[in-house]
Amino acid sequence: MNNKLTQHPDNAMLVEFSAGTLPTAASICVSAHLHFCQKCRAELLRLDQVGSQLMTEAEPADVDDSLFDSVMAKIEKAEAAPPENIDQESDNGFPFSVNRLLNNPAHRPIWKRMSGSVDVARFKTGQSDYEVALHRICAGGKTPKHDHQGTEYTVVLKGSFSDERAVYNEGDFLVRQPGDVHQPMGAQNGECICLSALDAPIKLTNPLGFLMKPLLRINPM
Amino acid sequence: MLRRTIDTRDKNAPAQNRVAVLNSSEKRSDQWSLLLIAVGEKRDRQAFAKLFKHFAPLLKSFAQASRHEGWFPGLSEDLVQEVMIKVWQKAAGYKPEKASATTWIYTVARNCRIDMLRRKSNTQHLPLENEDFWHEPDEETPISLLRQKRSEDKLQNSLSQLPREQDEILRKVYLEGKSHAEASNELGLPLGTVKSRVRLALQKMQILVTPEYQDELHHE
Repeated sequence: MNNKLTQHPDNAMLVEFSAGTLPTAASICVSAHLHFCQKCRAELLRLDQVGSQLMTEAEPADVDDSLFDSVMAKIEKAEAAPPENIDQESDNGFPFSVNRLLNNPAHRPIWKRMSGSVDVARFKTGQSDYEVALHRICAGGKTPKHDHQGTEYTVVLKGSFSDERAVYNEGDFLVRQPGDVHQPMGAQNGECICLSALDAPIKLTNPLGFLMKPLLRINPM
Repeated sequence: MLRRTIDTRDKNAPAQNRVAVLNSSEKRSDQWSLLLIAVGEKRDRQAFAKLFKHFAPLLKSFAQASRHEGWFPGLSEDLVQEVMIKVWQKAAGYKPEKASATTWIYTVARNCRIDMLRRKSNTQHLPLENEDFWHEPDEETPISLLRQKRSEDKLQNSLSQLPREQDEILRKVYLEGKSHAEASNELGLPLGTVKSRVRLALQKMQILVTPEYQDELHHE
């Protein structure tokens, strides 16, 4: 278990995740956090129990007997078909959902240089609100000081980084909103990889920040 | 209206030898979990038929409760079929030490409902199914069955005692599939009120604060 983990999604996000109403991009980030956080997994189980209890207490609907036969017929048909290739699980320590996105045959993410110390690899997630990407900060790398124009979710997947407020370790889940200005720095002892979902470009606070603008454009896909 | 009955032992329940061995002394013994284990281990069709008989009407009712954009009643039986097919196919991966069969089947239903909605909207590019989000590592120290059962029992009792407004909001969120923001629009309540109602309900059911981290909260 990761004891250094201190930042968790709030209750409302976990409830929405459990009820299945959290949007895709945020769900990817929450699921990445759950990979590292036993405490939130335990809470999620209890929240799922609420959903399951509500489901079983409802008035049962009438189901025609033919539905069972139809299900059995489909099961038999599926079993006759050749099994699908089951993809190998990577053992890079990343959450399952992240590895699925990394190994997406229809869109393999490519690492691109964003600044001197930051690389980005963008995921295709089939929604148009958030850019979901991995960011890699090299050891000791300094990122430019920036503000947020929208919501940004970040989950540390490997290594750690810090900003003016705290040090963030593997599994930490951060939400940044407009007005949250920070300057993340990679830890000295190794590169840091984060998953992030961003619904508006970050804004550099440096007066010459506008020069970087084209590089910071987000690309939800 | 509501069936507040608790699953009771069925005399037709599968024999004890079908109980998967959990932490030496702990076994999950409710009939639905035993049936699900039998489906997983032995491809037991009779057990599956019993599960179907119990869960299909509940799943259909769950599907009919959906108020998601783009959902319509005609999808309800599709959902029942899809969920029950998944139950058959994935039963071998069911881990009784992690959750009861009822909770497990609820999560399959929730995931199927989202996937069906996602397939209907223009998001074929997501290389993930919703269950991939719930792909969890094996627990180093799984929550003990005894503690799980205690929280399930507590939940059953306390859910029936919630004030109407809290009960209403939980149903909106879990059954109708409304986000907190949608619920706030619909009820004409500020988002903060919706969130705090949900939180109060969960606190009452002791979902949020558990003994294991109550201590931490005291230190804050």
